[in-house]
Amino acid sequence: MKRREFIKKVAATSAGLAIAPYILPSGRLFAPSGYRSANHVIMVMFAGGVRHQESVGMRYLDDSQIGDPYPGNIMYNMLNGAAPTMKIAYGTGEGGELPIPAILSQTLQSQGTLFSEMQALSAGHYGGLNSILQGGLVSAQGLRQRPVNPTIFEYLRRHGGYAASDVWFVGNGIGGSTPLLNYSGNPDYGIQYGANFFAPGTTFGEEGFNYLADAKVYHPENELAPMYAMKAFLDNTFAQFGQSQQSLGNTEEEKQNIKLFMDAMYEKVANGTLALPPVTDNGDLYTMAFACEVMKWFKPAFMAVNLSAVDTCHSNFTGYVAAMHRADHAVGHLWNYLQTEIADIANDTTIICLPECGRNDEPNAITDINGWNAYDHSDENALRIWSMMVGPGVPSNLTLGSEGNPVGLVSDAMLAVAEILGVKTDVMNAGYLAPGTLSLFDHF
Amino acid sequence: MMYKQSNNLFLPLMNTQDFENKTEVERSEIPTLREPMTEAQRPETEVRHLDTSVSLVVEDTSVEQSLISHPISHISGCTCEGHTTNHARMQTAAAVAGLTATALLASCKKEEDLLFEVNTVGLYSSAAEKDKMKSNEQYVSILYTNLFQQAISSSDVFSIANCFDSIGDQELAREVLISNFFNDDGVQLPTIEEMNADIETFIVDTFKRFFVRIPTEAEKTWVKNFITSNPYMTPELVYFSFALTNEYLFY
Repeated sequence: MKRREFIKKVAATSAGLAIAPYILPSGRLFAPSGYRSANHVIMVMFAGGVRHQESVGMRYLDDSQIGDPYPGNIMYNMLNGAAPTMKIAYGTGEGGELPIPAILSQTLQSQGTLFSEMQALSAGHYGGLNSILQGGLVSAQGLRQRPVNPTIFEYLRRHGGYAASDVWFVGNGIGGSTPLLNYSGNPDYGIQYGANFFAPGTTFGEEGFNYLADAKVYHPENELAPMYAMKAFLDNTFAQFGQSQQSLGNTEEEKQNIKLFMDAMYEKVANGTLALPPVTDNGDLYTMAFACEVMKWFKPAFMAVNLSAVDTCHSNFTGYVAAMHRADHAVGHLWNYLQTEIADIANDTTIICLPECGRNDEPNAITDINGWNAYDHSDENALRIWSMMVGPGVPSNLTLGSEGNPVGLVSDAMLAVAEILGVKTDVMNAGYLAPGTLSLFDHF
Repeated sequence: MMYKQSNNLFLPLMNTQDFENKTEVERSEIPTLREPMTEAQRPETEVRHLDTSVSLVVEDTSVEQSLISHPISHISGCTCEGHTTNHARMQTAAAVAGLTATALLASCKKEEDLLFEVNTVGLYSSAAEKDKMKSNEQYVSILYTNLFQQAISSSDVFSIANCFDSIGDQELAREVLISNFFNDDGVQLPTIEEMNADIETFIVDTFKRFFVRIPTEAEKTWVKNFITSNPYMTPELVYFSFALTNEYLFY
């Protein structure tokens, strides 16, 4: 080979090698810019079927329990409004008489925009969660089935070029098909664009401690590298028979980082140094502690957190208002933790909170220890939800819509995430959004 | 013949060289474990056996009740209260004892069918035969058996499957689980010296243990070269890589 040809080939190869890592899975060289008001978004799916009347309506017992005309705001980290003064049963201590003190000095409502009534697409939990993450809901979506259409996680990874550990889903548990929500069954998207997922109650609970907490540490270069090399050879020989197993696509470095995170969490749990909220007496608060830890460790572009304890309302209204009070406490803790412990991204993070569904207007036949009626979720009232958004570029102290005058659909929240993180056009072009879906920003 | 447990199957404990020296016909005669029968494969006789047991119980009860309800005095002729009662009790006891003995004799029939038994199923002739994916429960059970050479408890399988559900990256979950297992003293591993003493046997045994098949010559050569050229490669890391492969996820 002539010297000139050799230099040309080397130069071309070097250029190719330099560019290749930056080519996104979608084939783009650079991620689209979009609105980009923030580089980090947290979405809190709040919190297992919240009745409009007791949450944004701030009517406590007034609209649900006959003979108890006691309104009030039990979510005072998020909403402006005075707390109830009578029949307090949602706090701590015996009978829940002691309300949990507010964490935030300024409510999220005053820091951002409240969509005081929106329209849900499903009155069920799994359907509701799917409608949030997919930005729509198809009638064919079943339980125990991965989302039929792509989720926001997949849009972000495929079109935005985000790495697997840039996209997280922190679940409330492993029941109710929750672990299936981190990627869809859509053939154009799927597992290779999925989100990392933890259900902390299991991963870092007793079962996780028994079977995952004592991992042997291997040298990444001397031991793990040849181990992976042998695995790669064996996988290649098996691939010729047409069988393969796709993975989430964490790189070896990302996997090592996640393993380090897991080790750190087991240690924190054992030492009692976890980022727990001031009050941690239910699963949602425990889940939120790990969401804070994920945010601090990985600083992901997008993290969805699912809370679910208010679903006790099917049989226990007292437990329901207590859980709603705690879900507010959890959100307040997350936002406060972000400002104080992850200050480097605090001003670069947007938070969106919204319930996946509401609850019925009329109670079921069950009463609890206080004689209060319980509520299921299946009627028109269960489609009345709300949303809240706080972050850079989001108008503060703004309320859109009002009771009986809904503004927006539940799917608008997902498109807002896509807009903030630069994949709105791709999401809209994919064609899976619910009809009428707009970004929350489009309502300003 | 001795058997060792491998992949939930009992494979004949045989020297690799012996196996390779055999002809195809001889190999096919080597007994291995038959897979558990499915519901559809279960023989009809087992169902009939269960039916018989049920009907006997019903019959016993009805006969006993009919005897008690008929006064014995009609048979003996004596009508005094005590005599009538004693006679009735004796006759009833005798009848019940007779029927019980008959029932026991009838039910003590030798069981004809077994759900699990050793049968002739060979190793996979090729990885191409594996087209079904293992569930997490199957993966965990087989992995535990392969590493510890003993069965895992059902409660452990349940809990570990829950752990898998709680982690989004299943490959990562498998890595963490395996590295936890390797921290357990109970793992049955050859020593590095044993591996190096007869590396070909080690490779073939590892393929049989994890993949339930004999390696191809290309695989054997590559793995042998890789192990000998990597000083950090231990039996533990070889097992680790096999347990993480895609092939190990299929059966």
